[in-house]
Amino acid sequence: MSFTRLLCLTLLTLLAGCGEPQQDPNVDYDQVYPAVDGGNMINAMTGEPSGLIPMIAGESAASAIASNIFNSLLKYDKNLELEGELAESWTISPDHRTITFKLKPDMKWADGQPLTSADVLFTWKLVTDENTRTPYGSDYKLVIKAETPDTRTFRVSYQEPYAPALDTWAGLQILPKHLLEGQDINTTAFARNPVGSHYYKLEQWRNGERISLIRNPLATQGEARIERLVSRFIPDAASQFLELMADNIDTMNLNPIQYARIFPSRPDLTQKIGLYKELGNSYTYLGFNLKRKPFDDIRIRQAINYAINKQELIDGVLLGLGEPVSSPYKPGTRWTNPELQPYPYDAQKAIALLKEAGYADHDGDGILDKDGKPLTFEMLTNQNKQREMSAVLIQRRLKEIGIDARIRVLEWASFIGRFIKTGEFDAVVLGWSLSLDPDQYSIWHSSQQAPGQFNFIGYNNPQVDRLLEQGRLELDIEKRTKIYHEFARLLLEDSPIVYLYAGYGLPAIHKRIKGIDDPAPPAGIGHNSHEWYIPQPLRRLEISAQ
Amino acid sequence: MIRYLLNRLLWMVPLLVGISLISFFIMHLAPGDITATEASFDPKASEESRQKLRELYNLDKPVIVQYGLWLKRMATLDFGTSFASHQRPVFWQTTDEQGNVRKGMIQQALPVTLLINVLSLVLIIAVALPLGVISALTRNRAPDRAITFFVFIGFAIPGFWLALMLMYWTGVANNWLPISGLHSIGYENMGAIAQIFDTLKHLVLPVFISGLSGLAGISLFVRNGMLDVLHQDYITTARAKGLSENTVVYGHALRNALLPLITIFGLSIPGLIGGSVIAESIFAIPGMGKLFYDAVLMRDFPVIMGILTIGAALTLIGNLLADLAYAWADPRVRRGVMQ
Amino acid sequence: MRRALSNPMAFGGFLIIAVIMMLALAAPLIAPFDPEAIDVKSILLPPSSTHWMGTDGLGRDVFSRMLFGARVSLMVGIVAVGIATLIGIVLGSISGYYRGWVDVFIMRLVDVMLSIPTFFLILAVIAFLTPSIWNIMIVIGLTSWMGVTRLVRAEFLSLRNREFVMASETLGARDGRLIFRHLLPNSLTPIIVSSVLGVASAVLVESGLSFLGLGVQAPQSSWGNILTDGKEYIEFAWWLSLFPGLAILITVLGYNLLGEGLRDALDPRSSN
Repeated sequence: MSFTRLLCLTLLTLLAGCGEPQQDPNVDYDQVYPAVDGGNMINAMTGEPSGLIPMIAGESAASAIASNIFNSLLKYDKNLELEGELAESWTISPDHRTITFKLKPDMKWADGQPLTSADVLFTWKLVTDENTRTPYGSDYKLVIKAETPDTRTFRVSYQEPYAPALDTWAGLQILPKHLLEGQDINTTAFARNPVGSHYYKLEQWRNGERISLIRNPLATQGEARIERLVSRFIPDAASQFLELMADNIDTMNLNPIQYARIFPSRPDLTQKIGLYKELGNSYTYLGFNLKRKPFDDIRIRQAINYAINKQELIDGVLLGLGEPVSSPYKPGTRWTNPELQPYPYDAQKAIALLKEAGYADHDGDGILDKDGKPLTFEMLTNQNKQREMSAVLIQRRLKEIGIDARIRVLEWASFIGRFIKTGEFDAVVLGWSLSLDPDQYSIWHSSQQAPGQFNFIGYNNPQVDRLLEQGRLELDIEKRTKIYHEFARLLLEDSPIVYLYAGYGLPAIHKRIKGIDDPAPPAGIGHNSHEWYIPQPLRRLEISAQ
Repeated sequence: MIRYLLNRLLWMVPLLVGISLISFFIMHLAPGDITATEASFDPKASEESRQKLRELYNLDKPVIVQYGLWLKRMATLDFGTSFASHQRPVFWQTTDEQGNVRKGMIQQALPVTLLINVLSLVLIIAVALPLGVISALTRNRAPDRAITFFVFIGFAIPGFWLALMLMYWTGVANNWLPISGLHSIGYENMGAIAQIFDTLKHLVLPVFISGLSGLAGISLFVRNGMLDVLHQDYITTARAKGLSENTVVYGHALRNALLPLITIFGLSIPGLIGGSVIAESIFAIPGMGKLFYDAVLMRDFPVIMGILTIGAALTLIGNLLADLAYAWADPRVRRGVMQ
Repeated sequence: MRRALSNPMAFGGFLIIAVIMMLALAAPLIAPFDPEAIDVKSILLPPSSTHWMGTDGLGRDVFSRMLFGARVSLMVGIVAVGIATLIGIVLGSISGYYRGWVDVFIMRLVDVMLSIPTFFLILAVIAFLTPSIWNIMIVIGLTSWMGVTRLVRAEFLSLRNREFVMASETLGARDGRLIFRHLLPNSLTPIIVSSVLGVASAVLVESGLSFLGLGVQAPQSSWGNILTDGKEYIEFAWWLSLFPGLAILITVLGYNLLGEGLRDALDPRSSN
C-alpha cells in the first residue's frame, strides 16, 4: 500500500507542480458588479448532439445548442406569451386561414449575407420536403400555400383555421438558403458547421468533447454579453457534479437530493453556487393500457387513482420540489383548468370502487380477485431514478388495497421498441412534456394509435376527440381556453392516466454569472441569458485567444 | 521465420470467419424483427430506418445469403453509415461530390482508446515488473506481503468506485488533476509542450484506472513465474557454478520468467478494449468504449457490428505481434519445436 | 482439503466467503427492515443504531438492502461461473480426449471468443435481451468458459500419457469411464482454482453493468446497483457507496485469496 501511495504522490506532485493557478477562494461573489461584456460560461451535457440542424437532429442536446444559433419567426416571452423574433409583426386574416409575417429590417446571417423572407420560405420547403428526414414535418404540411410578396413579407395559408399555427412558427428555426440550397439536408456538412443569426455562432466543435459558441456581432436580436458559451459532454451525472463542485463548469441541472440535501449542508458550495427553481416542463404519470383488462373498466382506473398518494410521491421522490397536476398543462398557465383538483388519497373509496367492479379477496391471499383471476399487473418504466422511485411507492400503496403491481425497469430502446410500439404492456410510468400550445391531438385523439404514434395507451373517447378537433380550429383565445378546460376535466374524470407530479427544474448556476432573474419567470431561468454577464474579477483564469 | 509468419497468418482466416459469425449472430439476437427495435417514437422515421436496415443486411434474402453478403462487407471494411440522424460513416471517412469530408466514427474514436491502452500497457510494464520481481525475491517477507496485499486490493476494487473517489480527491478536494475530459478549455491556444502536458494530465486517472487490474494481474504473474524459475535445475546449477546472485536473478531467471508475459499481453488486449466502456463514460472520453455503449443504447447496428469486428481484428493483430515477439525471443518456437 | 485450508491465504479467503455466504443466506432472519420498505421521512440518514449502514434516497435501510443484495450478487457470480465451468468441462473434455478435428474446431472457437472484447459482447447481448438477473448470469457464463476449456484440455492431454490411464485404456475401459473415473477427478484442482477466481470477476462484471444501467434492475437490490445509486453522493452520503464498495471489494478479495491460496497449496510444483 505504501508503494501505491508513493507512486500516486510522485505522479501527482509531478503534475500538480504545473497546475493552473487557482482563483482566490476569498472572492466575494455577492458583491454588486457593473455589467460588462466578455467571459466564458461553461455548462455540461450528458450527450453530444448528432448535428446542429434541429429539425434533423431531434435530440434535446441539439436543440439546446441550436437555440443559441438560430432564430424563429416568433418566440415566447418571459410570461410565455408569443412575441416576434425575426418577425416584427404578424396579422391573421379575417377568415383565420392566412397569416402574414412582416420581418424586421436589415437582418443579417452571421456570415454577413442578408436574411430575408426567401430564407423563411426555403426553410418551410425544407421541413415539408418528403426527402427531409424530420419528425416535425406534419404541422407545416397543413400549409397549402406559402409565398413571399417581398423580401420582408412571408405569408402562409391553411386549408382551414389552425389554432396551433403560431406556436408552430415559434418552433421552426430558420436556416440560410444561400448555404443550404442544393445540398442534401440529411447529410450536409452544414450540420457540423452551422451559420445562423442568433446571439452566438459556432466557434469550435471538438468531437466527443465539447462545442464552443462565440458571440455573433451581427446577431439579429442585438449582442449578448457573455463572450463564449462552452458545452462540455460529460455522460456521467456523478462526474458532472464533481466538475461543478471543482468550479470547472458553471451551470448544471441538479436533482432534488443535491438541491435539498447536499447544498444546504455545504456552505463552501452555497458561497459560490446559486440555486434556482423554475416551473418544470414535464409531468410524470402512470398510464394504463386501455385495450387490456382490467383497465378498460373506469372504476379500476379511478380506484388506482384514489389509492395513490400524490403528496407522498412529491415529498418522497422530489423532496417536496414539485407540484401536483390535474391538467396536462403547466401549472398556473392559462390552459390549466383552475377548478380541477387531483384525486385525493382515499383508500376506502378505492376499495369501494374495486368492490363495485366485482373485485374481492375470495381466496384470502391478500390479493383481490374476480372470476378466479387475481388483480395483478406489471408497471414498466425506463431507467429514470425518479420514475423508478415513483413506481416503488405506487407499488406499496396498491398492495395496501390488494392490488399486486410488479415493476419492470427497462432501458429506453427496448422499452420503446419492444413494449410501447407493440402495445405489449399493462401500465407504464412515463413523462409527457408540457407543451405551451394546448393542442394535444397527437397524444389523446383516437386516430393516433398506430405503432410509433403517441396515443399508445389506446385512449378513445368520442367527446374528447371532438373537443380536440374543435380546439385546433378555434382561434378565439377565450373560447379556446374553454374547450381545453373542458377537455382537461373529461380527461381527469376518465382517468386514462394517473397524473403523479410535475417536478421543478433545479438549475445551479455559479455566482460569477450575474444578471439572472430570480425568482425565475414562467419561461424559466434561461429566458434572458443573453443579458447575463461575468464581472472581470470573477472570471476564471483563461488562456487568452491571442 | 517467414514460414512461421505465413502459418500464423493462415490461422487467422478461420478466426475471422468465426468472428464474423458471432457478430452476425449478435445482430440477429434482438428479439423479433431486428428492424423493430430502434429508439425513436416517430412512425415515419422508424419505417425509413427499418427499410434502410433491411437493405443494408438484405433481410429479405435467405439467412445464408445474408451472411455471405455480411462477410463480403466485412472483408472490404464497409460497415455503412450510422443509423443516428447524422448518418456518419461507421469506419472511415468519406468525401462527397462537393468535397466535404465526413470523418468516420471509429476513425475518430480508435486513436483515443489506443492511446489510453498503450499508456496503460506502459504503466503495467513499468510498475508490475519491478513489483513482481521484488515480491518474488522477498518471498513471504514484509515487501512481498505488502505488494501482494496491494495486488489483491487492485484486483478486487470496483473500478468506477475507485475512479470517483480519486476524482474527488485529486480534482475537488485538491486541485491536482482535471476531473474529466481530454483537453482543457484553452487547449487550442497552448504551446505544443503545454498541449502534450495538458493531455497527459487528463490521462493520468483514466490510464491508472484502466490499467489497475492488469497491473495487479501481471505483478502476480511475474512473481509466480520468478518463483517457478528460481526453483528450476538450471538456476541451481548457475548458483552452484558460483555466479553472482545478480547474474542469476537478472541474467537467467528474469529472462525466462518474462517470456510468457509476451503472450499474456497479447491476450489482455480485448480485456483492455472492453474495459474502456466504464472508464470512458466516467471520465467523459470519446473513445471506442463510449461509442459502443451509445450505439448499444441507440440500437445503432452498423456501429455495433463495426466496433465488434474492428475490436476483434485489433486483438488478432495484437496476438500476432505477441507471437512474433515470442518467436523472436525464443528460437525454439521459430524452428517449430514448440508447435 | 485439509492441506488446502492450511494455506493461510486460502483459509482467510474461505473464512471471508463463508461469513458472507452465511449472512446472505440468513438475510431474512437478520435484516432489521424490509429491504424494499420505503420511508419518505427518513431519506439519506447517516448510519445510526437503528440504521447500521444508514438509509438511501428512498429511506430504505441500506444494511437490509446489502444483505439481500448479497444474495443477488453472489448468485450472479456463482451461477455464471457454474455455467462457464460446465461448458468448459464438456468442451475441454471432448477436445482433450478425442483430439483430432474436434479438438482443432473447439480450440479455434476458443480463440475466436478470446479475440472479441468480452465486455462489449456482454453489453450488447444484455441490452438486446433486456437486463434481468437470469440474462446477466447466462450471458456472463456464455462468455467466460474459454479458460476452463483450455485448462481441462491441457490436463487431459497430459494425463492421457500417464501410466494409470494408459493401463485402464488397454484393459478396455470405455470412454465415459475413463473420462469420469480417471481424467476428470485428476484435473479437478485447476478447475476449482479457476472457477473460484471466475466468481470474483463475475461479481465485478455485475457491478460494472450496474454502473452502466444494464445490471440487475431496481427495485431488486444488488451490491452493484446500491453502489451505483450512491455514486452521485460519494462524499456527502458516503455510506451509500462505501458499504457496497467495501462489500464487493471484500468478497472479490475473498474469492481471489481462496483461489490463489488453493493454487499455491495444491499445485505440486510449489509444494516444496
